[in-house]
Amino acid sequence: MLNNLIIGMAGSGGDGIVSAGESLIGASAREGYYAILTKSFGSQIRGGESSCRLRVSNDPVLNPGGALTAAIVLNWEDFLRFGGELPVTEKTVVIYELKTGVAPDAIPLGGIKPAIVRAVPMEEMAVKAAGTLQAKNNVVLGLVAGWFGLARQSILEGIRKKFGKKGEAVLAGNERAYALGLEYADNNPIGPEWRLAPPKAGGARILTDGNTQCGAAALFAGCKFFGGYPITPATEIMEYLQREIWKHGGSILQAEDEIAGIGAAVGASFAGRKSMTATSGPGLSLKCELLGLASVAELPLVCVNVQRGGPSTGLPTKREQADLFAAAFSAHGDTVRPVLAPIGVEDAFAVTVEAFNIAEQYQTPVVVLTDQEIAQRKEIIAPVDTSKLRLIERLRPSEEDLKDYSRFRFTESGVSPISHPGMKGGNYLAAGIEHDVYGAPTSSGEMHTRMNDKRLNKLNPLKQRRDLFVVTGDPEAELGVISWGSVAGVALEAVNAARAEGIRVKLLVPKLLYPVAEEIYSDFFRTLKRCVVVEQSHQGQLHRVIRMWVNVPPDFTALAKSGANPIAPEEVLERLRAMNLNPSTAS
Amino acid sequence: MSSACDCPPTPETYQARDFKSDLKPIWCPGCGDYGVVTAIYRALAAIKRPPHEIAFISGIGCSSRIPGYTTAYGFNTVHGRALPIAQGIKMANPDLLVLAAGGDGDGFSIGGGHVPHAIRRNLNITYIVMDNQIYGLTKGQLSPTTPRGTKTSSSAYGSMENPMNPLLFVLACGAGFVAQGVPADMDGLAKMIEAAIRYPGFAFVNIQSPCVTFGSADTQMKVQKASMKKLEAEGHDTSNRLRAMELAQDYGKTLYTGIFYRNPEPPPTYDSLIQKLQADMAPKATA
Repeated sequence: MLNNLIIGMAGSGGDGIVSAGESLIGASAREGYYAILTKSFGSQIRGGESSCRLRVSNDPVLNPGGALTAAIVLNWEDFLRFGGELPVTEKTVVIYELKTGVAPDAIPLGGIKPAIVRAVPMEEMAVKAAGTLQAKNNVVLGLVAGWFGLARQSILEGIRKKFGKKGEAVLAGNERAYALGLEYADNNPIGPEWRLAPPKAGGARILTDGNTQCGAAALFAGCKFFGGYPITPATEIMEYLQREIWKHGGSILQAEDEIAGIGAAVGASFAGRKSMTATSGPGLSLKCELLGLASVAELPLVCVNVQRGGPSTGLPTKREQADLFAAAFSAHGDTVRPVLAPIGVEDAFAVTVEAFNIAEQYQTPVVVLTDQEIAQRKEIIAPVDTSKLRLIERLRPSEEDLKDYSRFRFTESGVSPISHPGMKGGNYLAAGIEHDVYGAPTSSGEMHTRMNDKRLNKLNPLKQRRDLFVVTGDPEAELGVISWGSVAGVALEAVNAARAEGIRVKLLVPKLLYPVAEEIYSDFFRTLKRCVVVEQSHQGQLHRVIRMWVNVPPDFTALAKSGANPIAPEEVLERLRAMNLNPSTAS
Repeated sequence: MSSACDCPPTPETYQARDFKSDLKPIWCPGCGDYGVVTAIYRALAAIKRPPHEIAFISGIGCSSRIPGYTTAYGFNTVHGRALPIAQGIKMANPDLLVLAAGGDGDGFSIGGGHVPHAIRRNLNITYIVMDNQIYGLTKGQLSPTTPRGTKTSSSAYGSMENPMNPLLFVLACGAGFVAQGVPADMDGLAKMIEAAIRYPGFAFVNIQSPCVTFGSADTQMKVQKASMKKLEAEGHDTSNRLRAMELAQDYGKTLYTGIFYRNPEPPPTYDSLIQKLQADMAPKATA
């Protein structure tokens, strides 16, 4: 029996492949499994190729996984367009449409001999059952449920829910298509070793995605304003808040452009409310000047940046982790702006809440770097335990402070009490221009130095936040791995597998990417001779940022790939084996 | 304390000086903006909202220094972005009196993309543009309202592009309140700003505020005083939008002052719609 099932499916837009994936993950959630569903398309709205991969397991799923357990091919052209996103190996079951006319021993997979190959008349069965090709994806669901033992009853319930409103004839046709798929699988068995183990007993599960978690976390944190502009793959944050924020006494602005979106959010923060904006790479570029304003005016603000392939329009529907430089360094002037990154859908909630806390506590803009995969993949998680999360509010002036209020007063922590319009006695001038303690404009070099000290030093305590770093593995290992964001789950799986093979290795996952926490990295490096940074960017941006600030181990390399190229746990494991045997083989 | 007795000012006793801060303006002697800020003090004294309930937002430029010269909460932001920031403030706290201000370059060049949207969104904000047809702070370059042919430090052989017409532009975008004033007519300017603040919706006031250092001779205060034509004296009906557009076409030729257009039936403001939606969506208290 399998404890881990990875299904990859591809077809033309309109084949209902993604819809089949959604049915499967919905059914998996009802059964009590954990799962991740990722979708991949060309960037057109309709038509063209589309695919999804579903990883289902008894245990929490760390990443979408590498090689497929099952490949479902509605036509070969579309399947092959996804290349490394849907990797087939000798351990894969390949199921494809009989009508493609390809012989089982001649499938176009570059000589790979899959474990099992089945050509199935899916189209014919769909037409027979429902009189339409549109029922094809329900045949697929039947095949998957039958061969891999996945959620037989829950899938049927899902079909009833989905087609129940479309009339009896439509529902009956789709139910028949599903039943034909099941029957075909039962009559042509592939063996019990391909069946997924039944789910362990467990509590409630929710099916969600990273963008929804960011939006929900903002509301939990007390966010009362969102300003934004539609951009893939961040738009769902705005869409979620647009439905929900009013219930919490807040408001939202879909602005005329990215600059106005963040501008309004800066204004709302000046007015005393927790506020947020969200965007993706090109939008982050446009927002930079306003992020600088929030830094110098010391206004709390959360900016979520959902990374996609770049620069410019780049690969707007694919994952990349190449906005770290932009998030950390795109401000002009001497600015430090905290950058946080969650490692998955579940983590997106807690990290977004913490971004609000840091923004409020230190009166600074904070960038949350998620990525297309975390943002848009569907994932089954346990409900977020909010009882463990704390909330921080900005420091307000006391009555004593308001008697002779100086907004930018020098304090030991560098944080000064902040008033807002409506607060009597707190009147002050906020400005992008350098200012004295009262906010009055100045061009004094001495005052500029003191204010830079204040604005930069107030963030130093962040570098001691060990709770924003995950360290796991063998504490005395000479071999180390660092990874961040959605790729961290891949690295963790590889490190676990390596340790199971007896390789002594440890892993560091920073959720605080900037400012660089020198001490925490130095502590991790103390025992290391070799270390690899695993990340999804061509240059290996975290690998380089760490080197700017910290003395690194002698052999310090990156396993870095441009966006849209999957990084599989197996590949990281290969690198660890090589580094463990012979350090010089690591490139 | 700035009132005559030692007691703090109350809304009933507010005078113009209660809205004047201790900061000394950076403007050149004779700059039109001195008159503008004085008119704003007077208008605010007439409105009688306490300074801490007023948020005054500006962009960047000589005129954008203006919030600092008032006792309101001020925010001197970045170039061209006063309107988005002002709208965020008003949305976050609709109870505030929100003013936005800046120059012609700030509002109609770098920030020009925000103006139509602020107008169609229609938050209850007053936007004051100090229009001097030049970039003053950067020492005299071409602005979006500089007349064709004008020689400036960035158009040594004369401007080769047409100026835009701010009055016609905002009217075409659907602004509910449009006026033009000059500091040469202080009473008229103060009353116009007061009327703009009282208008329930987005209000636009264009002020021909001369630049004494880089502005052309025919834009100076004395010339304005001699050439200005008060719309009121012309018998203009401020509810007639088409007539307002006709008059606005003379921008740059005839110096009309006063209210061009005031929507006699103002539609609901965006901020009032927000408050209604929040009330409708608020979780119902359980009995």
